[in-house]
Amino acid sequence: MEIHRLFTNRLFTPALFVALCLVSTATNPYLQYLLNLILVYVVVAVGQMIILGFAGQFAFANAAFMGIGAYTVALLGSHFGISYWVSLPAAGVLCAIVGCIVGLPALRLRRVYLGLMTMGFAELCYWLFLHWRDLTLGTDGVKVEAPTFFGIRLDTDDAAFFVIVIATFAMVLLAKAILASRYGRAFIAIRENELVARCNGINVPLYKTLAFTLSGFYAGIGGGLFALAVRFVAPDTFNLLQVVLHFAIVMVGGVGTLSGALLGALFLTMLPEVLRGTQAAQEMMYGVLLVGVIVFMPKGVAGYLIERRILPPEVLVHGWREEVRERDGIPQADAKPSTAE
Amino acid sequence: MEPLLETQDLTVRFGGVVAVEDVSLTVPPGEIRGIIGPNGAGKSTLFNALSGVVKAEGRINFDGRDIADVPVHRRAGLGLRRTFQHVRLMQNRTALENVLVGMHLEIPANPLKSVLNLGGGVSPDRAARDRAREVMSFLGIDGLILRETGTLTIAQQRLLELARALAPGPKLLMLDEPCAGLSVPAVQTLDEILLRLKEEWKLTILLVEHVVSLVIDVSDSITVLDKGRVIAEGAGDEVMSNPAVKQAYLGTEEVDAA
Ligand SMILES: Nc1ncnc2c1ncn2[C@@H]1O[C@H](COP(=O)(O)OP(=O)(O)OP(=O)(O)O)[C@@H](O)[C@H]1O
Ligand SMILES: [Mg+2]
Repeated sequence: MEIHRLFTNRLFTPALFVALCLVSTATNPYLQYLLNLILVYVVVAVGQMIILGFAGQFAFANAAFMGIGAYTVALLGSHFGISYWVSLPAAGVLCAIVGCIVGLPALRLRRVYLGLMTMGFAELCYWLFLHWRDLTLGTDGVKVEAPTFFGIRLDTDDAAFFVIVIATFAMVLLAKAILASRYGRAFIAIRENELVARCNGINVPLYKTLAFTLSGFYAGIGGGLFALAVRFVAPDTFNLLQVVLHFAIVMVGGVGTLSGALLGALFLTMLPEVLRGTQAAQEMMYGVLLVGVIVFMPKGVAGYLIERRILPPEVLVHGWREEVRERDGIPQADAKPSTAE
Repeated sequence: MEPLLETQDLTVRFGGVVAVEDVSLTVPPGEIRGIIGPNGAGKSTLFNALSGVVKAEGRINFDGRDIADVPVHRRAGLGLRRTFQHVRLMQNRTALENVLVGMHLEIPANPLKSVLNLGGGVSPDRAARDRAREVMSFLGIDGLILRETGTLTIAQQRLLELARALAPGPKLLMLDEPCAGLSVPAVQTLDEILLRLKEEWKLTILLVEHVVSLVIDVSDSITVLDKGRVIAEGAGDEVMSNPAVKQAYLGTEEVDAA
């Protein structure tokens, strides 16, 4: 049996969910915290993957959206006593709106300019987190109220895990459905060639805006989950390093693959824990890793594993596996051009 | 009969260059119109003007409405589809995904249906997939449906691009040099496909092509462009014996009669 069939099995997702829950019962607090963080970064990474990896927009505002999401949850809880169950979706919706607005100038900007503009936005948000002390308490940071579930306070990492794991699975499954639909195909078509996309009836500005909105939503929810995982939100988390981290997750994971977002989040969340170095050392490692992956795995870890038939191919069509069943072959990245004709 | 496409004094300028000048075309439904002319005559630019990707002066009437101010993606929705002189496909994606990009507007926009599949048992892309397979098998490339596009031969890629344009069921198909890079048997295959599209699909086609034998074989009438202007129009042999046409081709390029 080929390994990739394991992942396409109907039972894989529920089995993974159950396995994670079982693992979580056996973790020490540190490992539990790390597991939570990995899951949070999966959601955040999907946001960056949609805009950069699928729609091909050089947008680096994801870290800012994550920050806005985290602060939204923290501040709504501490200032207004609003429940996490309300503030989490609110963080997603707010960041979706901000994402949509940030996306508007992007309709006229390209590549480097879009990159600079969005990086500027990320810097601006960092500056606001730092200096708008009346709202954010500046460097003091904000403590995150633990949510309660039917009277039970979810104030441990173990308790937070259940919220995070359910949210992460739901968000990833939703992303999978979106990307396999006409929406995901429109994103990819825009990335590949905007003129062709337009000639095929795709409203390019609309779908770019949609990609920004969606990525804002994912980063916002991710930020809200992050607040729950770390229970303390401070400005320094959302500095330039966070921007670089999101970019690195997409590049290392594999541009234009959902599994790339998952793998990228897994590796780059664990990396600093493994390295345990200074920030400078970490930044250097990201650099080395980025270069290493680009040189040895130009399609990222996920692309590499898909080519080796370890991970299943990602075809952006609902139910495309039915086609496989009717035919024999599956898409082969390494297939030789047919000699017919 | 009402013409399907009618342009009046269509003009495209790039700075000082007038790539298309005062082109007035009238194409009745069901006709295959060959468009020939030497390199740089403005054939591709004419297609770009019709599909809306370059700005043009003059009027364009399509299917009973003025589309001069209609944006590109809406024109596609009205049934104006095209291929490109240099094949433009998503190279790292499967043939199926490429065809489904062409069917973007045929799939419900409502995300509850097309993403979450609420209120329907079958998968949301099912109808589009069936249609893609149908069109690809019409073109004889259904065996490639899940192949990655980059692994296909140029002939297969040309047919795949044609499938993407055909799948949404266009009213007007614009083919920009579909034979470029094809072998003689592949050109023959395309010749038969074009005739079947005319007979069975009653499709209206604008065909830009340097392989004049093919153009003469399939076209109901031919328009000759030179330096952006129409220099001749009419039935195949009539046009080819026109002295102005011979003059235009002289010294620029052999008329490929093979
Ligand atoms: N985007 C553009 N900017 C500037 N000039 C252009 C542009 N597109 C085309 N032209 C010019 O317009 C003229 C017509 O070009 P076009 O590509 O339409 O010719 P063609 O008939 O398709 O030629 P070929 O047979 O080589 O494809 C040429 O002089 C070309 O240089
Ligand atoms: Mg041309």
